[in-house]
Order: sequence, then structure tokens, then C-alpha cells
Amino acid sequence: MNAVTITHLSKTYPNGTAALQDITLALRPGEVCGFLGPNGAGKTTTVKLLNGILTPSGGSLSVLGMDPAREPEKIHARCGVVTEHAQMYDNLTGKENLLFYASVFGISPSEAADRADALLWELDLLNAQDKKLSSYSTGMRQRLSLARALIHRPDVLFLDEPTSGLDPESARNVNLMIRRLAEESGVTVFLCTHQLRYAQEICSRYCLIEKGMLLADGTLKELRSRILPDTVLRIRAGHMPVIAGQYDPGQHSRENIFQEISPGHYETHIRSEEEIPAIVRQIAEKGGLIYSVENIQPSLEDIYFALTDIQKEASL
Amino acid sequence: MNQAVKTIIKKDIKGITSNRSLFLSLLIVPLVLTVLLPCIFLFAVHFVPDDPDIRKLLDLLPRSAWSSSPELTISGLILNYIMPVFFLIIPIMASSVMAASSFVGEKEKHTLETLLYSPLTLGQIFRAKVLASFLMSMAVSLASFLVMLLFMELEAFFLMGSLLPLSASWLILLCMLSPAVSLIAVTLIVRGSARAQSMEESQQAAVFLILPLVLLVVGQFTGVLLVSQWLLLVLSLACALLAWILLRRAAARYTYEMVLK
Repeated sequence: MNAVTITHLSKTYPNGTAALQDITLALRPGEVCGFLGPNGAGKTTTVKLLNGILTPSGGSLSVLGMDPAREPEKIHARCGVVTEHAQMYDNLTGKENLLFYASVFGISPSEAADRADALLWELDLLNAQDKKLSSYSTGMRQRLSLARALIHRPDVLFLDEPTSGLDPESARNVNLMIRRLAEESGVTVFLCTHQLRYAQEICSRYCLIEKGMLLADGTLKELRSRILPDTVLRIRAGHMPVIAGQYDPGQHSRENIFQEISPGHYETHIRSEEEIPAIVRQIAEKGGLIYSVENIQPSLEDIYFALTDIQKEASL
Repeated sequence: MNQAVKTIIKKDIKGITSNRSLFLSLLIVPLVLTVLLPCIFLFAVHFVPDDPDIRKLLDLLPRSAWSSSPELTISGLILNYIMPVFFLIIPIMASSVMAASSFVGEKEKHTLETLLYSPLTLGQIFRAKVLASFLMSMAVSLASFLVMLLFMELEAFFLMGSLLPLSASWLILLCMLSPAVSLIAVTLIVRGSARAQSMEESQQAAVFLILPLVLLVVGQFTGVLLVSQWLLLVLSLACALLAWILLRRAAARYTYEMVLK
């Protein structure tokens, strides 16, 4: 059974804004799915719909086999949610906040204390556990929100911009924690972010959205082969011989390929890494002095921008 | 009652008591109404010289309302006819402050959304918050009554040499009318919570309850309307019925989308 199933989902707000249009996707248990797009793309709306906080205008949803619109509280019992707007109580300490939510989730006080201690330690908040939340920095609040979402050991975790406001080290720790949760505990993670580089580090699968529409969905390998199949071969060389003629910007044949992008650095597009040995051999045979060879695969960002460019061209 | 509901009630009450300025605002009005105001009344009765008009007024009263002295009779009237109307401001004010903090304050601070992601139904969250406001209001009202009674009786005893008789109106007031008006105040705050963006804004809804009370005060003072025990009982029943209807309507309207508007 899928952990999350979204079928032809659409949401139009009462003011007429179409936040989501015909989204279909499914998440298997233990998957870390990046739901990626700019601000206003519909990420938070999707999280709210998946938790029954909003009702869909069309299509259907299922989380752990339950309908969020009908049984939101049962879904909440098995899911953890971190969103920018889901804050905790300033008048309570970090630990008191966790104990409060643990109690709301029906966890016994002794068990709650153990879990809270473990999470506070893991998220590097143990020293601040007895301080009022009002004295916490944005990053500390964000980490405590993650601890709060994990206190009841959820099966599915909905994270909306979980690393916004975190310093690089904290963001790395949070990333590691999320990945570990998926790998060791089988937690399904639905991660919404506009930080594509961050998503590329931890997600096993990506859904790229813009203006409420799903542009593409798949693993990085699938997205690359579907959207940007070429990779860039970058060579640093002291002397670069002519490989079947000089670079011609108007020509994209295999032979006429290298472009000098900076002194001593040359680039060309290739379809597969199988082509690299032959190219390198050709350069060496013609007296080229190769210092380094790098095969640069398109990043998630490259894929996203390629997709949005295609969308723009299609709408013109 | 569900343990989680109890946890929310405790947290909401702690939210008020740990906020010094909010808690002070919750205590100042009851202190003025139950300590300062009756003190002024009783001192005035004791130290102001005999007035023939007051004598005429006392003559109009039934014999059963008379005490051993005119001073004690007037003080008894103040305790049993004037103070109840002032006293009603306390449950209205306490439940308004508490409901505004519990419903609108949480919305303002974005903590309500977090609570919505808990395994409680929206109905349970609504009940927990209404109960927290109601219990706090009842606790403040009862404490205010006891403080008022203590001060007035001590004052009467030391100034006039006798304790004041307590009317059955107070029983109706504490057990029926105060709870009913508390709940009405809570429903008015909940109703306005969708539009209100701050606690202060939402508390303005309580003005609609204070206004009829002001008319009642004027009525009592001028003698136009003398609230008897029977009238108080009828009024209490009407308010209880209204509170029940308003609560049901507020609960039905309390949806996720309304809460996060």
C-alpha cells in the first residue's frame, strides 16, 4: 500500500485562486519525496490538504489508507507535520512544549520524558531544554518543531521548509536525521522546499511543481534522462588540440564539440559517460595535455529551470 | 474526559496565569468590583448623616427586607440588589479575556495550527477551549464572590456591629446566571475569532453583553427595575438556553478553514 496517494487533486480557494491543478502522485513507504517549487507554487496547500485542514476542490487523497477529509484526527495520530505557521508556546520551555504535545498525543509522562530527552539530544537542544521558547533563535525553534513532529513516532512526516532559518551545520544535522528516519525507521517523508540543492542531498524522489501544476516527477536519474539527457564533459588541459574541427556554436554534432569556457577549461555535451574514454584518447593522441576530466551531471536546479523554460515556451 | 482535552485545558489556564499583564487585567476588575466598590458603598452608608429621603425609601420596602437598623437595611440592599448586577461583569470579563487568549491569541501566535495537527477532533479542541475559558471564569467569579463577602461582612461587622444577611439571589447568580453569561461571552468571542486579528479586537465583542448590564445597573439604582429572585431565575434560564443555542451554533461553525482564516 502506498503511504500517500494523490489522484487528480485540485484546490481552488473561495477567492478564485487555483492553488493546485490536477496533481497525481504516489509515495511508497520509506520514500523521501521532495515536493519542490518556488513560493506560492502550492506546496503548503498540498500539506494542508493531506492533513485534512483544507478540503480539496477536486480529486482524491489518501494517507496511510485514510481519507484526510473524513478522518483528519486519525491521520494526525500517525503523521508529523512541520510548517512555517505551526508554532509552539513561548511561555513554555522547550521541554515543556514537547511534553505538552506528547500528552496531547496520548503518550505517558515517563515515556514522553524519555522521548523528549532523546530528541532534544539528537537535535542539539539539550542545553536549551529548560529555557522559555521566547528566548529561542529561529533555528532552535525550527529544530524544536521537528522534535515536536517526531515525538509520537509518526509513519509519515510532512515537512514544509524544515531547514529555513537553520545555519549550515544545523541544516546538515537535520538532513542526516531525516535520511536516517527514512532508512532505519521506514518513515515516509514528504518534504516541501524551494531549496533545490538541499532537496537533492536527501530526497530519493522529486516532484517539481509550479503554479499549482506538477511539471515532472521521478528519481533524479529518471528526471535527467527524461528532461536533460546530456551531461557536460569538462576538461582542464594545458594544450587542447582541435577535435574534429573547432567549436561552432551553431553546430551540435558529436565531432565539433569543445568550447573554451575559461583559459585552459573546455566543455562539451555528451549523451553518456561511455563516450568519455574515446574523447580523452583522441585528445591525448593529438598531443593534448590533460590535467583533469570531469563529467558534470545536470543538477535538480538545471532540470527545474529547463522544465520551467519549456513551460514558458509552451505558454507563449 | 479525554486526557488530551484535560492537557489543553491546563495549558490554556497556565497560559493566562503565567502572563503577568494578562493575569493582572483579569484580577483588577474583580478587585475593584468586589472590594473597592462595596467598601465605598458601606462607608458612605455608615458615615453619611441620616437623610429623610432615605427614610422614605426604606418605608416603601416590605417589612421582611428590614434589618435591625436603617444602616444595616441599606447595606443589605446593596449586597443583595446592587452588587449582583455589578458582579455579573466579572464572569463576562473573565471569560472574554480567557476565550480571547485561548482562541484568538493562539491564532495570532500561530500555535492553534499546531494543535490542529494533533489527534484530537476539532470538536474536542473546541470543547477544551470553551471549558478552559468557562472554568477560569467560574473560578475567578467564585473567588471574587468569597472575597467580596468577606470584605463586606467584616466591614459591616466592625462598622455596624452585625453581619449582613445573604439573599438566595446569590445562589441563582453563582450557579445559573454567571455560568450562562460566561458561556454566552465565550461564544461571542469564538464567533468573532474568525475575523479578529488580535486578542484586543476580539474582546470588543463582550461589549454587547456589558451594555444590557449597564441598563440593569441603572434600573437597579433608580428603582425602575428591581430584580427579584423569580425574575433572576427566569433571566438565568433564558440566558442558559441562549448559551446552549449559541454554543451549538459556534461549534458547528468551528471548522479548520474558519480557524485558519
